[in-house]
Amino acid sequence: MGMFNRRQFLVGAAAAASASSIGLAACSGGGSSDGSATLSFGWWGNDVRNRETDQAIKAYMKANPKVTIKQQPGEWDSYWDKLSTEVAGKNAPDVIQMDMAYISQYAKNGTLLDLSQYGVDTSKFAPATVDSGKIDGKLVGINAGINSLTILVNPELFEKAGVDLPDDTKWTWDDYLSLSTELQAKGPTGTTGTQCAFPTDNMLQIWLRQNGKDLYTADGLAFTADDLAQYLDIMVRFMNAHAMPTASAINEEVGKSIDQTAFGTGKQGFALYWSNQLEAVNEASGTTMKMLRPPTVAGDATKLNGYYKASMLWSGYAGSKDPEAVGKLINWWVNNTACAKICLDERGTPANTEIVTAIESKLTAAGKAAVAYLDDIKPGLGKTPAAPPAGSSQIGDIMQRHTNDILFGKDKPATAAPKIVSELQAAIKSAQ
Amino acid sequence: MSAISELTSLRRTRAKTAAERQQQRKENGRDNKAGYLFLLPWLVGLVVITIGPMCASLYLSFTDYNLLQPPKWAGLANFREMLHDTRLHQSLKVTFIYVFVGVPLQLALALVIALALDKGMKGLSFYRSIFYLPSMLGGSVAIAVLWRQIFGTDGLINQALRLVGINAHTGWVSDPSYALGTIIILHIWTFGSPMVIFLAGLRQIPTMYYEAAAVDGARRWARFSKITMPLLSPIVFFNLVLQIIGAFQSFTQAFVVSGGTGGPSDSTLFYTLYLYNRGFANLQMGYASAMAWVLLVIIGAFTAINFFASKYWVFYDD
Repeated sequence: MGMFNRRQFLVGAAAAASASSIGLAACSGGGSSDGSATLSFGWWGNDVRNRETDQAIKAYMKANPKVTIKQQPGEWDSYWDKLSTEVAGKNAPDVIQMDMAYISQYAKNGTLLDLSQYGVDTSKFAPATVDSGKIDGKLVGINAGINSLTILVNPELFEKAGVDLPDDTKWTWDDYLSLSTELQAKGPTGTTGTQCAFPTDNMLQIWLRQNGKDLYTADGLAFTADDLAQYLDIMVRFMNAHAMPTASAINEEVGKSIDQTAFGTGKQGFALYWSNQLEAVNEASGTTMKMLRPPTVAGDATKLNGYYKASMLWSGYAGSKDPEAVGKLINWWVNNTACAKICLDERGTPANTEIVTAIESKLTAAGKAAVAYLDDIKPGLGKTPAAPPAGSSQIGDIMQRHTNDILFGKDKPATAAPKIVSELQAAIKSAQ
Repeated sequence: MSAISELTSLRRTRAKTAAERQQQRKENGRDNKAGYLFLLPWLVGLVVITIGPMCASLYLSFTDYNLLQPPKWAGLANFREMLHDTRLHQSLKVTFIYVFVGVPLQLALALVIALALDKGMKGLSFYRSIFYLPSMLGGSVAIAVLWRQIFGTDGLINQALRLVGINAHTGWVSDPSYALGTIIILHIWTFGSPMVIFLAGLRQIPTMYYEAAAVDGARRWARFSKITMPLLSPIVFFNLVLQIIGAFQSFTQAFVVSGGTGGPSDSTLFYTLYLYNRGFANLQMGYASAMAWVLLVIIGAFTAINFFASKYWVFYDD
């Protein structure tokens, strides 16, 4: 027989396996009564966010010397692949930066802590900003900042082309179309009227809500294939009117960083962004963009039926060895001015109204503009929608695929819409 | 024969008495131990990194598994779903086109370049390195990103076309009609590794055959088809098998060029890319595992066909 017989081998293997699982347990930290804890902290972001998050984490560790925090920064695209794999391996970070698109999926599977039980205080939060993180009555996500959709406009390009900016309290989708067409015709060579945001669920949601619908109910779709076909017809009108780039140029925009996009390089009139992205866009383009309320069907911005979205949320991993320490850290993150003064509004305007007051003077011009924009759209706000159901995060891929077929003339809105709806329904069904 | 076993056999012949034999067994045991010990790193790797996950994925292919909850037994449901999955059929179509257009063209180009280089020109090793370079770069993310730029709507290719008066307004990787073709060209461009193997094979062909053929007055084409090709056929076969297997598993270029979606309009939806998306983006790891096993069967079948057919065209000179 060899160096060891089979039984010895198995025993050895088991010992090795348990040793490694002990190692894992040590990684995710063991809580103890003296308040010492080791936590891991996962987020996606950009250079600015990584730097600020690092500073804030160090500030927390300085104030709580018994707590050690391991940083796990990431990129949006790979973040979700990694997180699902980590959850499968029962090795997810203790504190998870979460997104509305995924929160139902993770909450439904019991992956997230009910943070209301671990001392996270949301009493100072603006109304309706707490509910975004409630799934089935459990507070599984704490609003990390709010934002809302805005149409950014490049005022310099409009001036060059001699086209007037719209009055965003009154403009309609037809105005949006005619202005884009005019700009594309009159602007310098290579100018395009607007970014093609129609394949995104964001643009679809703006339009649906103005028509009294929405993207999702708690467990399904809140719109029909007919609604979607009508909406996609608008995209076709933009394409036929030469109000946006060619089909292949639209495709190339996907996945580009802001400074490489047509809008970021100053060659495009309009683009859809989140209000907290203004600063990043201004920095990348070197132009001071102006924020416009999205156009409305009624030509009346008070009928926008917009809402404040949680740009992202803080969640705790249910498998954490030390949920108390997780709750304490998240509570500090959203309610402590020292932390807010480091992170400012990078993750969206804080939901805690007292924090907003405390940091407002430190905000940049773009940050202040974003706060003002959120205030401006108040008369046009409607009900905060339910968290998207599990499986719905595929909407972006599905929409992109079928709108591409339309843009390249291989399909029509009336036939593409039912396909999108049925694929989306199947995706949601399979995730339930 | 390794040094250790050589030593053992030497000792074995000398072993005579019972005591010595016992001593012998002990030493054999110790030698075995040493052998297993040396084998251990490989064995652990094989079991932990290859066989273990393979068994797990075979089990998962019969389950409904979303990574977040424990897998639920689903029988053949995943395989049944594959019959009706139109995107899966699209991904098979894309992959087959890629394999059956890309691989022959790549091997043909590799062979032509190898024949040209085999003329014994000056600076051969320099040219060999130059031609091999794309093979080292081709699979990398950086090159795929670069290609995305070069073949863009306003990329280098279109700018060059405009210079010669062709008004090109579509992107080569962002238009569903051309995207797959562009990726196939990227694949053909990485002809370096089969070329190096061809070159080595050409060097193995004894010159006496060519000399004899020249004496008999054989022309160039006759020399190529009657001497070079038959004697090179084992190398062609080797390259063919490896390249087909590799092409079926191709992932990186399509992932980067299409931003991970297989777009535009699923025109670059490679099988492995779709598998990845089902597993990690859609969290359907059971289905993805089933897809992986189907791919294994497909690759296995094509390799088997290859070996079977090789009896009729591969010539071994021994």
